Amino acid sequence: MKLAALLLVFALGAPLAQAGARDDEGKSHVARGRGGAGNALPWKRDPFPSTYRPLPRQDTLIVGATVLDGAGHRFEHANLLLRDGKIVALSTRAIPEPAGATTIDAKGRWVTPGIIDVHSHDGDFAAPFTSLDAENSDVSEGSDPITPNVWAEHSIAVQDPSFARARAGGVTTLQILPGSSNLIGGRSVVLKNVPATTVQAMKFPGAPYGVKFACGENPKYTYGEKGRFPSSRMGNVAGMRAAFIEAAEYRSKWLDYVAGHGKRPDDDLKKDTLAGILDGDIRTHWHCYRADDMATLFDVAKEAHFHIDAFHHAVEAYKIPQLFVANHTCAVVWSDWWGYKMEAFDGIRENAAFVDAAGACVTMHSDSPWLGQRLTLEAGKALAAGRRAGLAIAPEHAITWVTLNPAKVLGLDAQTGSLEAGKNADVVVWSGDPFSVYTKADQVFIDGALVYDRADPKRQPRSDFELGEPSMAK
Amino acid sequence: MTGADGGRIDDATIVIRDGVYDSVVAKAPPPAGARVIDAAGRTVTPGLMNADTHLGLVEVASLEETRDYAASGGPLGAAFDVEYALNPNSLLLPVALADGLTRAATSPTASSDPAFLGMGAVLRIQPGAETLDRAKAAMYASVGGLEIKQNGGSRSAQWQLMRNAFAEAKTYAPPKSGAGAPRDQVQNVLNIAALHAMLEARMPLAVRAARESDIRQAVALADDYRLPLIVLGGAEAWRCADLLAAHKAAVVLDPEANLPWTFDELGARSDSAALLARAGVTIAFSVSGNTIYLSHNAGVAAREGAGLAVADGLPYAQALQALTVNPARIFGIADHYGSMARGLDADLVVWNGDPLEPASAPDVVFVRGVQASRITRQTLLRDRYAPQHAQDRWPPAYRP
Repeated sequence: MKLAALLLVFALGAPLAQAGARDDEGKSHVARGRGGAGNALPWKRDPFPSTYRPLPRQDTLIVGATVLDGAGHRFEHANLLLRDGKIVALSTRAIPEPAGATTIDAKGRWVTPGIIDVHSHDGDFAAPFTSLDAENSDVSEGSDPITPNVWAEHSIAVQDPSFARARAGGVTTLQILPGSSNLIGGRSVVLKNVPATTVQAMKFPGAPYGVKFACGENPKYTYGEKGRFPSSRMGNVAGMRAAFIEAAEYRSKWLDYVAGHGKRPDDDLKKDTLAGILDGDIRTHWHCYRADDMATLFDVAKEAHFHIDAFHHAVEAYKIPQLFVANHTCAVVWSDWWGYKMEAFDGIRENAAFVDAAGACVTMHSDSPWLGQRLTLEAGKALAAGRRAGLAIAPEHAITWVTLNPAKVLGLDAQTGSLEAGKNADVVVWSGDPFSVYTKADQVFIDGALVYDRADPKRQPRSDFELGEPSMAK
Repeated sequence: MTGADGGRIDDATIVIRDGVYDSVVAKAPPPAGARVIDAAGRTVTPGLMNADTHLGLVEVASLEETRDYAASGGPLGAAFDVEYALNPNSLLLPVALADGLTRAATSPTASSDPAFLGMGAVLRIQPGAETLDRAKAAMYASVGGLEIKQNGGSRSAQWQLMRNAFAEAKTYAPPKSGAGAPRDQVQNVLNIAALHAMLEARMPLAVRAARESDIRQAVALADDYRLPLIVLGGAEAWRCADLLAAHKAAVVLDPEANLPWTFDELGARSDSAALLARAGVTIAFSVSGNTIYLSHNAGVAAREGAGLAVADGLPYAQALQALTVNPARIFGIADHYGSMARGLDADLVVWNGDPLEPASAPDVVFVRGVQASRITRQTLLRDRYAPQHAQDRWPPAYRP
């Protein structure tokens, strides 16, 4: 696999409005978001609405499990009731089996919320990777360093077998990001990890969009090599500041227009996305490695009046944990990647634990269809490194790095990420300790539907791409 | 766990003398005058071996001035030999060692005459300049995949050119002084001499291949020239496991590679290790991890891969052999490394838990009877930025 393929970065993740009304011109309008100016603002539209519907589901009672609830608690011999696609009850006392419900005996097994991967390229850097992808991959729009106008969902190959592998690893929600070649790489999309024939049918209803930004080596080498801007780190920062200045001006004109002043500005797909960030509707995800790069970006965000929701990769987050605390920014990290590029030279395995110990948000991520099958193992490795460094980290805490914390990063913690009553029934029953290399996801539920069952071939969906292979019988 | 034939001895006393294993006996008293390490309740294994890395040949993967695993210009094809580039001061070696890795095969990835990549070496990971364990441990080649364009445009061209190279090498005689190379040969004199020496020495042929058809071609070629065969990657090797076993071919596989990532790997599956081992194929591990694990995390990744193989059906004892005695045999160092047999190099690790759990770590590491430091550049950064320094008023640069 080419190194360039490994250096992908994501950009956006902001709230999407639900389906909007249509006017005579066929434009959809959504009266959502803080703008208040309402349905005339182009960045409030939802032109590609989610068509997701939960798969057929059955009320389920899981009994006798060791439960890590994602909200920091651990329960032994606990029972969990899923009804109408929601978490209804979690208790160490007996829960009567509702009529018509299925009971799963989970004695000796572990239960967690569905795993959330906030940095995946499943679908936009899809298997099979071909010689044509090597020339022009769908993961980055390589023609310009500033492409907030592109949307990752328009690259998604829903038949990428990586989705199924991730599902078998307990992943129920993914954010798919554009790559990291560009300063502003485009919008992300948040998906429910269900098999589907269109990307709209996977889109997490109401999930905020995100935007993928990249600092450091990737943009400056990608474009500097071509003799183009940016060719330096200072060029990277100048490019980002200029983009936000233009977007702020665009946003002002639109706000004036809807307030009855001036003529209607021209629509601009690039500036729409950045205006959505300035409105607080769209979240920001920054591919950055070095502490000095990240500290600079914190200042850029203050200057331009937006929030950095997460630094992704962030291998030097451990050098500046207090900045993550002060800016309410999450460090989205690996357990042990280092050394493959200069800005990753200082990666250490205690990164997650040290940032966590300072009180900042930590999330594990994959950026890889292989690692994306083992995010709980990632959390376990990071936990173990922290313990070896003398920190006391409980499993019920470390599980938040792959459940509730990533839900917060995506702005979806009211819907998923923990096993609290009323939340979506996104649940994994594990064969054992989820941090162990030997453990498998036995059953995976999304909105209460059993989307994967390790013991039942009929609940092991395969993508179209994998049909027709000569026998895989052993 | 002695590494040999799945041997497990409880409450063992392991005696190391003069850098080699002396004895491993249950409940034996320590010899008089020996330094004693109490490992009660803990697992001890031989030092582990990763069967495919670029250790000693890379520092920062994206910086060409720190990469030595590819010959990108000049006449070197099969003659490219990585041994002259090995860097015993590489910062990656202490990291691997602190993860329990004491040996590693290190391989070339490209030469000027594909499909041959050149010759690899075996490292012993120990402080000091004596890093090279075995030079010219195997001749590497790569077929199929996304590199066909650079390699003759067709898999057939690749195999025909490799066969031609061996045919030329077989009849090659080193030139008398003043005489040039034979005329009308495809291989230049450097490469044909290297291949000739390879055939004479029966050096293993290590073929990076994923598709079943290429693996079968590799078996046929190695068979024709009576060369030991190592299949690297081998996503579809399970489809011809019996053939590989019959020809005593080995497979170095990545247990994490379960996706149909390219058209060569459509048969990739999670339980390849178990299927191959059940058929009697000698297996060893190398884990790519997006190429990042390959060298930079060569120790922890090999253990994690072995653990995943166990989770998918490989017996535990065989997984441990795939990290020790199997790669030792495959790469020709089993006469001095690979198990706790008397007289073998005392590479040894005392673990704080199950060695196949990546969350586990060594407490004690010995290489050739000498206890190794577990300090790495990463542990120095860890100590410099540990949370207890949060209130320090002097910058971290003033700390060790």
